[in-house]
Amino acid sequence: MQVLLLMYHDEKAMQKLAREEHGRLHGAFMAYVEALKKAGVLVANNGLKPTSAAKTVQKDAVLDGPFAETKEQLAGYFLLEVPNIEAAHAWAKRHPTVGYGAIEVRPVWPH
Amino acid sequence: MQYLLLIYNNESAMLSRPAEEAKQSMAAYMAYAETMRKAGVLVGGQRLRPTNDATTVRAANGKTSVLNGPFAETREQLGGYFLIDAPDLDEALAWAKRCPGAATGSIEVRPVWS
Repeated sequence: MQVLLLMYHDEKAMQKLAREEHGRLHGAFMAYVEALKKAGVLVANNGLKPTSAAKTVQKDAVLDGPFAETKEQLAGYFLLEVPNIEAAHAWAKRHPTVGYGAIEVRPVWPH
Repeated sequence: MQYLLLIYNNESAMLSRPAEEAKQSMAAYMAYAETMRKAGVLVGGQRLRPTNDATTVRAANGKTSVLNGPFAETREQLGGYFLIDAPDLDEALAWAKRCPGAATGSIEVRPVWS
C-alpha cells in the first residue's frame, strides 16, 4: 500500500533556528531519506516553500496565503510504499519532524 | 519549476454524494489529469483516503504519541494533490483554476523546493 506522510511544523520557529541546529536537522533528514531508500520504501518526497509563497484558488478567485491558517504549517511530504499501516507508523515515528512538529499519515487510494 | 496543487474539499459532502455524481466527478478528474499529461505538466498526483483513516504522530520531549485523525480539523479536508511542472506561478494558477476541486472547494498552490 502507499501512504503519504505529511510534515507539519511551526514555520516561524523553523526560520529562527540557529545555524547549528539547522545543520543538525539537515543531517537528520539526510539520514532518514537514506534509511527509506535503503529499505526500498521511498516513492517520492518534496519540500514546500513557506506559506508566504502560497496562493489559494477558489472558483475563479486567487487569494494570497495557504488554504487554512494553522498553528503549524504543511512543509512537505513523503510518499512511501509499505506492506501495511503499522510499517507506515513505524516510519512516521522515525521522521525527524515528529520531534518538533507532527506527521500526518494518510493512506492513498490505489490507482 | 514544480508546484504542488493541494485539493481541499468538504469531505463529508463528497462522501455522501449520489453514486452518479461521484462517478461524474471521477471522470472530470481523469480528464483533467489527462489534459495535464498531454500538456507535459503532470509530474505526479494521489487521491488520499478520508481523514477517518488518518493518524497523526508527534514526539515532543521524546514521548511519542499516535493519535487518530488528521493534523488539524478544518472546514474542508485535504483529499489529494497534483504535482505539476509549470514555467511560472501564473501558469500553475491557471492549471489550479481548471482543477475540478476548485469549483467546490479550494486549491492551494505551493512552490516546491528544487
